Amino acid sequence: MDYVLRIPRDEKRGMRTDVVVYASPALLEHIKRDQSLEQAMNVATLPGIVGPSLAMPDIHQGYGFPIGGVAAMDWQSGVVSPGGVGYDINCGVRLLRTTLTRSEVEPRLRELVNQMFRDVPCGTGSEGTLRVDRKQLDAVLAEGAGWMVTNGYGCQRDAEFTEERGAMEGADPAKVSERAKERGRPQLGTLGSGNHFLEVQWVEQVFDETAARAMGLETDQAVVLVHCGSRGLGHQVCTDYLAEMGAAMKRYNITLPDRQLACVPIQSPEGQAYLAAMRASANFAWANRQAITHLLRGSFQRIFGPEAKLEMIYDVCHNIAKRERHLWEGQKRDVLVHRKGATRAFPPGHRDLPAAYREVGQPVLIPGSMGTASWVLVGAEAAMRETFGSVCHGAGRLMSRTAARKGRDVREVQKRLEEQGILVRSETRDGILEEVPEAYKNVDEVIEVVHTAGLARKVARFRPMGVIKG
Amino acid sequence: MFELLEHPADIGFRAHAPDLAALFETCAEALLAVAVEVETVEPRSSYPLAAAGDDTESLLVNWLSEVLYLWDARRLALRQFRVLEITPGRVTGEGLGEPWDPARHRAKLVIKGVTYHQLRVGQDRQGWYAQVFLDI
Repeated sequence: MDYVLRIPRDEKRGMRTDVVVYASPALLEHIKRDQSLEQAMNVATLPGIVGPSLAMPDIHQGYGFPIGGVAAMDWQSGVVSPGGVGYDINCGVRLLRTTLTRSEVEPRLRELVNQMFRDVPCGTGSEGTLRVDRKQLDAVLAEGAGWMVTNGYGCQRDAEFTEERGAMEGADPAKVSERAKERGRPQLGTLGSGNHFLEVQWVEQVFDETAARAMGLETDQAVVLVHCGSRGLGHQVCTDYLAEMGAAMKRYNITLPDRQLACVPIQSPEGQAYLAAMRASANFAWANRQAITHLLRGSFQRIFGPEAKLEMIYDVCHNIAKRERHLWEGQKRDVLVHRKGATRAFPPGHRDLPAAYREVGQPVLIPGSMGTASWVLVGAEAAMRETFGSVCHGAGRLMSRTAARKGRDVREVQKRLEEQGILVRSETRDGILEEVPEAYKNVDEVIEVVHTAGLARKVARFRPMGVIKG
Repeated sequence: MFELLEHPADIGFRAHAPDLAALFETCAEALLAVAVEVETVEPRSSYPLAAAGDDTESLLVNWLSEVLYLWDARRLALRQFRVLEITPGRVTGEGLGEPWDPARHRAKLVIKGVTYHQLRVGQDRQGWYAQVFLDI
């Protein structure tokens, strides 16, 4: 257990529990340079926290909660914090396998990337081609990916191979403000910007043949990775409830070291209302990734003909709070697990997994930066024992956006990536510069930590060939 | 007057102004400057803005969230701001700009939200200052 650092609860006044950090010595050096550990200690002060405040190896400074943080709260006596979920509710990743190999895609890569770029609206100000009225939007919020499937934008299998089958129970569209609906409605089926992306990748190496077979993956196969979330709808829900909770906290006598941690008791009316709105936003995000999948299927068929298929491997969310039952210190506990930049990683045998993955474990999708690798892992036993079934979510940023832009020329970056066989498109110059590979930690190092710690196991490593940045 | 600030994942700004009303105007301009190339926006029409908050910090966050809402939901690109009245707990004003036109306007980053992270609003010898971080 070389990769586990424990910060005891007496380190800072108000901490109710320890902080446990999963990191290698090299990653820990990076982590110590920002305020992420301080933020993980602040999370340890929250009422009703069960077990330690957890930090994954990709942890970096966020707002209130660190990004790459996990905290489980007692369902009866604990709190829910919108900051522990984030503005981009159900930001997540979807992995699709293609029926093509790397060598079949490569000669037509430029056409494909251009087609995808035309088909999937991305960047600021983009609006979706899929128009829903207000009533339909409420149905999307209640039914998630299932609404898309029912309306012809996917197949039943797509929803089945999505976390929560693409729809969280207990979503209440009435708890989502009109403003959030107004902000999100035209954005259904759009990618957004920031670190969101579409990538065409190929399987560079398989580490676990059995798990790879269960996912229908083999070396040299082309795959597609989609990274996006609930767009303006989720952002507004977070804004609305942060404001409401800021005022409500006084009523519940909650004082915090950081206002961005604003929280209320899970069982309070405000807490239940937020959870109902958060679940609706999560459903919107799954519907969004499903709509994008539909558009991508069109792009692939246009370039490679009607036989070209994109099939679901899995879809995970990495900004969410979920009610789960965990065995902690010998007791069955009913908890609300906040995963802020962290992925659920259920091990083999877990009943929430689709039958196809029950023997191998839940696919865990970890995107790297645009010039490096991405990974698929499967959840493992130690995650259930130590991290409430959770693991990392990405490489983690190393450099600020302004630092990434400084002294870099977009054409030089594109040329450098093209020399490595990676084609990049973006609506904006900054969309590429701010996401340069060197702005991120080494994803392989992050994976090594979670693999060695037994939280998840390596299945396959992907290399990018076509990248669309939002 | 404002300057952009670094954050490991996102972006922020620090603003200075002679009084609180001017500070709110400057902060709104800074927010839009992160989202849009404001030079491409003409201040053709006026759009009303109002926000409430328990203290100056939440008043500023809610004011900026209002500007963000007009931008992201109503598709209004605003360039200049005027605070008409600011009292403890309430601010009213207007934004000058025009409806978003992708043919003429250039967008920059999608702003998800205005955060309380390391939020500062206060007074120094030059007047008022604020520090705000945005989730990108």
